[in-house]
Amino acid sequence: MEKLRGKRIIIAKPGLDGHDAGAKIIALTLRDAGANVIYTGLRKSPDYIARVVIDEDADALGLSILSGSHNALVAATIECLRKFGGTDIKVFVGGTIPASDHEALKQLGVVAIYTAEMKLDHIVASLAEHLG
Amino acid sequence: MSGEDLRWRQQLARELTIRARAPASEVMTAAISFGGKARRIGITGPPGAGKSSLIGLLAKQWTERPSKVGVIAVDPTSPLSGGSLLGDRIRIDGVSTNSNLFIRSLPSGNTSDGLCPNILSLLDAFEQAAFDHVILETVGVGQVSYQAKTLVDTFVVVLVPESGDTVQAMKAGILELADIYVVNKADLPAATKIATELRSIALWRGRNESWVPPVILTSATENRGAAEFSEAIESHRKATLTEERVAALTIARREYVLRTLLVGQIDEFMARNRAGLQDASLAECFRILIAGLGERADVINKA
Amino acid sequence: MSLRNDLLEGTDGREPPLLRPETSSGIPLPEFLAGDGEEVPGEFPFTRGIFKNGYRGRLWTFRQYSGFGSAEETNERYKFLLANGSSGLSVALDLPTQCGYDPDDVMAIGEVGKVGVSMFSLAEAETVFSGIDLSKISTSFTINGTAAIIYAMYVAVADKTGVPRSALTGTIQNDILKEYVARGTWIFPVRPSMRLIADTILFSNEHTPRFNPISIAGAHVRDAGATAIEEMGYTLANGLAYVDELLRHKGDANSFAKRLSFFFYVHMDFFEEVAKFRAGRRLWAKLLKQRYGINDPKALMFRFGVVCGGSSLTGAQPYNNISRVAIETMAAVLGGAQSIFTCAYDEAYQIPTEFSAEIALRTQQIVAYESAIGKTVDPLGGSYFIEWLTDQMEKEIAKVIQQLEDYGGVEKAIEDGYPQMWIAQRALERKLKKDRGETVVVGENYFANQKDSAVDYGQVFKSDPSGEARIRSRLSALREKREHAKVVTTLDALEAAARAPDANLMPFLVECCHAYATVGEIVARLKSSWGEFSEPIRL
Repeated sequence: MEKLRGKRIIIAKPGLDGHDAGAKIIALTLRDAGANVIYTGLRKSPDYIARVVIDEDADALGLSILSGSHNALVAATIECLRKFGGTDIKVFVGGTIPASDHEALKQLGVVAIYTAEMKLDHIVASLAEHLG
Repeated sequence: MSGEDLRWRQQLARELTIRARAPASEVMTAAISFGGKARRIGITGPPGAGKSSLIGLLAKQWTERPSKVGVIAVDPTSPLSGGSLLGDRIRIDGVSTNSNLFIRSLPSGNTSDGLCPNILSLLDAFEQAAFDHVILETVGVGQVSYQAKTLVDTFVVVLVPESGDTVQAMKAGILELADIYVVNKADLPAATKIATELRSIALWRGRNESWVPPVILTSATENRGAAEFSEAIESHRKATLTEERVAALTIARREYVLRTLLVGQIDEFMARNRAGLQDASLAECFRILIAGLGERADVINKA
Repeated sequence: MSLRNDLLEGTDGREPPLLRPETSSGIPLPEFLAGDGEEVPGEFPFTRGIFKNGYRGRLWTFRQYSGFGSAEETNERYKFLLANGSSGLSVALDLPTQCGYDPDDVMAIGEVGKVGVSMFSLAEAETVFSGIDLSKISTSFTINGTAAIIYAMYVAVADKTGVPRSALTGTIQNDILKEYVARGTWIFPVRPSMRLIADTILFSNEHTPRFNPISIAGAHVRDAGATAIEEMGYTLANGLAYVDELLRHKGDANSFAKRLSFFFYVHMDFFEEVAKFRAGRRLWAKLLKQRYGINDPKALMFRFGVVCGGSSLTGAQPYNNISRVAIETMAAVLGGAQSIFTCAYDEAYQIPTEFSAEIALRTQQIVAYESAIGKTVDPLGGSYFIEWLTDQMEKEIAKVIQQLEDYGGVEKAIEDGYPQMWIAQRALERKLKKDRGETVVVGENYFANQKDSAVDYGQVFKSDPSGEARIRSRLSALREKREHAKVVTTLDALEAAARAPDANLMPFLVECCHAYATVGEIVARLKSSWGEFSEPIRL
């Protein structure tokens, strides 16, 4: 089912975390759901990521972080997005995110948090709902 | 990034999206421009040829002048899912936030020529944003290149030695369209062989055409060829700024627009009337189609 | 994790005796059994094990988790472990140290001191090992992109504390090829990285012969999505690439091979894992002999450690992981591993607690002393099934190695992004199979609790919130204290050596460390000589 037809989505790996299997799985899955996906690769700064999002006029940005540094990096990226005028972009996060950090991330503006055991179908459906 | 830079970038980003999503009839007719400031360069070649890195090198040289460089990077849409992986921009510049460079990645979509819809209008958007160069990157397979050539001022074909008998395989087709040949990964042994073959093709073409396409050898590992490449593009520009060529290109682009609009209308009509057309004979279908198109004659209000 | 550790405090620290060679009912057990003229353990091609007496002579090494945010905490922890009988220490470094950034670099934000120690200079290393006699311990560093630098730092600490270099024991992982493909702490392009590895090997041969300069890891490839066959195939291919590189530098393949060790995951397909290790041993020995003419049995021995757990564990119904780890430990033992690390049942979603870490250790101890499956060497050897499966695995593993060679070699494949792409495909396949229920994961896609399906992730890495700021201020303090001119001189010499194709960089790195140059400064100079690796993103 092409639930994400026409949507432009960036999948990014901010910071130094080198585990990219999850990010690549998501990128491929979103493509298979009809989305136009840009995967940034490893080691991108929040500033760079925000720039890509703005220039590409993306509908959504997925940040994949498994190094535990999600709070600082998500905050920095959202701040850069705001600086560049991209406040209407839906940001979602994937990785090893403790439940205790969910609320803070939501407060920053993150619309969804997807962890490894979630089914890919559910993630696609959830994103489709958020992107309308 | 300065406030001014931010503003024009935001504007351009939005403008590109609007034009990309608008119905062809709305945007295409206004887009036949020529003689504008922005030099359009088409870069095509097989996957793995290193087009994106080459574009990165060009962009680096030109933006340092400084001049504004735009890139439209087209990647194929997956026929199965309708989605796409737009991987070129990261290869073009995955590191910096160069404020003179603007990249937009687009899927080819379902168009029959493999070029994203409204491509002319998108190229035009860069023109209107006062860019000095716009690069159109496409995967050189079949139909894609033929149309791409019409839309740009300089058409570059990039090959790599690893492709084996690339030259043989591609003889009839894009090799005859190239204004410049680039042999990338020229540090590999087979590079000289390919370059030689291309030079003989170029000479043969030179008998009938006024421009003999140069063969440029480039290599990222040996850090060579980038300057010659941009010089060749510059030479081509100078050599082809003739009235004759401008006229020919304008005609070609008008035809492109017409054809795109017509094909678009045909596709739409057939999709809407699939059931009805199924039962009719071929001759009847044809008549129904022409009548249907006739009814859509006013879809373009602007000349 | 506090220093209060009931695990060792509560016990009297006595170690059980060596395994008695009889069953619990008293049947005497032979060291091993073999048919007439058939292969025996300890003999080429070592399918059945590298030692004739297997675990009777010596049990496998029980590896434990460690790694704390600050250099001081790490030092305290190590002193504690040492006082309680451990002599092998594992040091984890934080990501900035692993990737070559100083704590004040913009890329280091949020990552300083998070997944390990921030060892940005010799000063930090001196703190970690303060009061510890390096000649009495064995240190294993999980470090790759900056392995040569950390190794140089360790040598520098030895120099400063009067410990002869030849007394140093331990390992640096130093396996850059897998970084490009599955772990991501690469820095430089492939060629200069290989050169640097050759330099570390040659240096260690000469100066620290008891310190292992490389541990080739297949584990990460497996965790990232590769199959058991691909894990072994890719690892062996990398191993061969390192031998080739060493030979290019006129190194001695024989002495190198003697000190080489490997590192794998153990997942749940029990017999496949056993066969994987047996096939790996056999194939490695054969390849070294065929390709390099090595005949010294010690050089043909395939030594390896394992991690039991990883992505085979679940967040849902985590106690099930205890069973999983126990099964995997048994597979590792039947496969003949030299060291085993058992994951704690909660490792996938939080830092192991003392409770879960204790269970992980006890699991190994139960397998070792109670199930006693290690009493006889390669007990599964001779089984029709195991021998057949070993042959199959060997064939398939050899195919993977051949595929990479056909592509043009491991280096070229990595530069083109070929293995990266194939692993991503595998990862997606693996996930889809789980989602569809084709692969059964008990408690997750079958037999899940209807009531609590969401995994409650805790902090996966310990972090000291004041840590980053404190560490950065230590960096500033260092920059003021040290002799700036000396730093520049040593860095200049390093850069010149890096540009010269034949210089061994290790002595230069040691000098830089002695001058208190930082990891970031050293890496910056190497980057200006060699450039940076450009990640080929192919999906």
